[in-house]
Amino acid sequence: MLIVIPRIAYISVLIFCIASCIAAAPAGLFETKQPRGLDFVLQNSPTPQKYLIETMPGGIALLDYDNDGLLDIFLVNGGRVTSPMPVPENFDRKNPRYWNRLYRQNKDGSFTDVTERAGLASAGDGNYGMGVAVGDYDNDGFPDLYVTSYGKNILYHNNGDGTFTDVTAKAGVAAGGWSVSAGFFDYDNDGKLDLFVTRYMEWDTKHSKTCGGDWHTYCPPEEFPATTSILYHNNGDGTFTDVSQKSGVAAKKGRALGVAFADYDGDGLTDIFVANDGMQQYLYRNNGNGTFTERGLEAGAALSEDGRRLSGMGIVFQDYDNDGRPDVVVTELPREIYGVYHNEGDGTFSYGSLATGLGVLSSGSSGWGVGLEDFDNDGWNDLFVAQGHVLDNVEKIDPSLHYLELPMLAMNHNGRFERADSGTSSPAAGRGAAFGDLNNDGWQDVVMTALGDHPQVLLNRGGKQHWLVISLRGTRSNRDGFGARVRVNGQTRFATSAGSYLSANDKRMHFGLGAAEAAKIEIAWPSGSRQTLNDVHADQFLEVREPEKP
Amino acid sequence: MIRILVAFWLAWQTASPEAMQHLQAGTEADKQGHFEVAIAEFKRVTELEPKFTDGFVNLGQAYMENRDYGAAIPPLKHALDLAPDLAAAHQLLGYALLAQGYAAEAIPHLEKIQEQTALGIAQIGTGQLSQAITNLQAALAKHPNDPDLLYYLGRASGLFSKQSIDTLLAAYPDSARAHQALAENYFVLRQMPQAEKEFREALRLRPDTPELHLELGLVYAGSSQWAKAEDEFRAQTKQQPGNAEAAFRLGTALLQQGKAGEARTELERSNRLEPDMPETLYSLGKAAALGGDSAAAEKAWAKLLSIEKGSNLAAQTHFALAGLYRKQGKTTEAEREMQEFQKLQNPATQPESVQK
Repeated sequence: MLIVIPRIAYISVLIFCIASCIAAAPAGLFETKQPRGLDFVLQNSPTPQKYLIETMPGGIALLDYDNDGLLDIFLVNGGRVTSPMPVPENFDRKNPRYWNRLYRQNKDGSFTDVTERAGLASAGDGNYGMGVAVGDYDNDGFPDLYVTSYGKNILYHNNGDGTFTDVTAKAGVAAGGWSVSAGFFDYDNDGKLDLFVTRYMEWDTKHSKTCGGDWHTYCPPEEFPATTSILYHNNGDGTFTDVSQKSGVAAKKGRALGVAFADYDGDGLTDIFVANDGMQQYLYRNNGNGTFTERGLEAGAALSEDGRRLSGMGIVFQDYDNDGRPDVVVTELPREIYGVYHNEGDGTFSYGSLATGLGVLSSGSSGWGVGLEDFDNDGWNDLFVAQGHVLDNVEKIDPSLHYLELPMLAMNHNGRFERADSGTSSPAAGRGAAFGDLNNDGWQDVVMTALGDHPQVLLNRGGKQHWLVISLRGTRSNRDGFGARVRVNGQTRFATSAGSYLSANDKRMHFGLGAAEAAKIEIAWPSGSRQTLNDVHADQFLEVREPEKP
Repeated sequence: MIRILVAFWLAWQTASPEAMQHLQAGTEADKQGHFEVAIAEFKRVTELEPKFTDGFVNLGQAYMENRDYGAAIPPLKHALDLAPDLAAAHQLLGYALLAQGYAAEAIPHLEKIQEQTALGIAQIGTGQLSQAITNLQAALAKHPNDPDLLYYLGRASGLFSKQSIDTLLAAYPDSARAHQALAENYFVLRQMPQAEKEFREALRLRPDTPELHLELGLVYAGSSQWAKAEDEFRAQTKQQPGNAEAAFRLGTALLQQGKAGEARTELERSNRLEPDMPETLYSLGKAAALGGDSAAAEKAWAKLLSIEKGSNLAAQTHFALAGLYRKQGKTTEAEREMQEFQKLQNPATQPESVQK
């Protein structure tokens, strides 16, 4: 018997099929985009000399430099490396190919390169670029840029008219040596942002060497002497004072790559966590008198569960289990598994890599930039890691490892991480990663840098859950509100743009609210004042101004 | 030893007073390490007394002390022409020939005096591997932990193993054992995809081959594929419930995945099968701690530390105990364990303090 399907029914079947097919297709959480105008390529310039700097850049910042409400993108470039390098070193940074780049976001989501117009074109021929920190160090309402390098660092003051001025010499923050990640924070709660600069090791191209015998590859950090990181105190007059010695930060040498800030012991003072490569991690407890005491070992946050040294690279210092206390995730090399240090609330940490499930997800990967963000707005911070091995010939040495890797996306289910599809299928030598809401849709996006490649822009596909984005406006505290503890419907975030690797995140604080349509916001400002806002509507961008009086 | 033998032989010799003077002068120079002088003196003895065996033996020995093994061979051979059973000459000639790479020629001389160490080394050179192993084992029994002997025994055993595997691969290339052997080779080279493929083929050909699942599990564990490793270790424990290592490996794979309860069950089983293995106790403590049973973790680690002291594993255990006590708020105990941990740490791994 011949069954004839009426034409109208056939169409409805077809529509149903298409709808169900789309629904069934496994879509990643992010959509990978190459936004129009974002034409940057990270020039790391690998050479047969295997200069270690070649495998380490580059940073990225998500900031709204012109306060138009749209996130712009600043990307740090490496430089031209020749084989061998001349003395004095010259990385050809006047050549546009090697410029750092600032891209202003247009209303349609495309970007315009404003580097030259903004006065950011040349970063100094002797500087091979590394990372970037963002903060409003002079409280004028415009985010400033601090660019780190192998060579000299540069502080760019945002003039508020779309241009920047190099104020490094006046500010006294050039550092020197090999700087890596940096971050602005207010360690003495005087309302002015101070600056922490990590430095990797004592190394220069003249004293470089290769390792690995016949494999001829980059040397491990232990081959070069450790060095000190730098803490600059903001004097409030456009200058900074190097207080590394006085504060105790320089009492121990390290091989620092990452830095993040949070108040881990709840004393109202911002502490520092430094990710060191190939050695113990440093937790600098803020003593409240301008000095710090390194307490990593005593606090149980310095080594792996087995007491082994870690190749700490990227770091995030936020709360992953919604207990209100900042925990630490440190990204590492393969076979080490990413370190999760759970804040126990008594000044100590317990090792949580296995308990959180992150151990099994990370043991074969090399992690760099990292963020704990609520990507699905369910009220739990998820994890994103930019990945890719240090050695560009690692497959020859160990075929089970990879130079180019996919980033890791791990969704947080009640404090346990499970791998998810990020949506990108292009393995890359991932390095920097910055997090923020690029298209202001209430869903956190990611931009990741990759050696020798375009940055990957991962736009969150979004969903139906509710969200809230808070911009802090400090009055007695620093204007960015860095160091504030913000609690929204049981989730806590510590205000900062620092963390990850070489990168600076959107300073706005994003919270996923799940099904909740309203939120209670509790803010502990660095000045000590407390502020509570009840019944705040979900799905909005909210600026909260610190009360002028205690 | 050689000197005593030489002196003993001397008593049976007679030589002219002039030759004896040169012999004495040579012996004196040799004692003082003036080997060139000794060589000249002993050479003069052999010229004056061509039938005087001791002159040739001493000349050969002086050459050897001067590391000129090639030059030592003719006088020592001549000594043996004069006195075919002279043990000292056999020993020295055996050494000299071996040092020059003439292993086959050295062996009869070394056999004559049953010098097992040098004989074993020479037999490695001639491919007589089973005999070499026997001789080196006998020598090692007399000189336990001698580093040279340990090295040569290891080398002989390794070559013997390779010889057997080469024979297997040549004679039965399609057998399960041949695939297993290839897989093991790839595993050592860290070529994990190839190792996996060969182990899988071996399993297909002979699924009941003991330890194949265990080895394949180690391939997965080596590349951090813990879920697959778990499957293989589980298959091994099913096949061999009495295999303590399989239970240990399964427990470790489960632990890596954060499955504390299941890991603990397997590690406890491993500990029952082969009690108090330090690695098992360490992982057992970790599984117990991860599952929240601090008392059991403390017990396992305390037991471990009663067995293992001063090792890396002991250091790790002190560190783990410090973490356990810290979590329990036992500050004093935590600090004590941290001190023990730091005592056992390699100073090179400690951070460098900056002189102010």
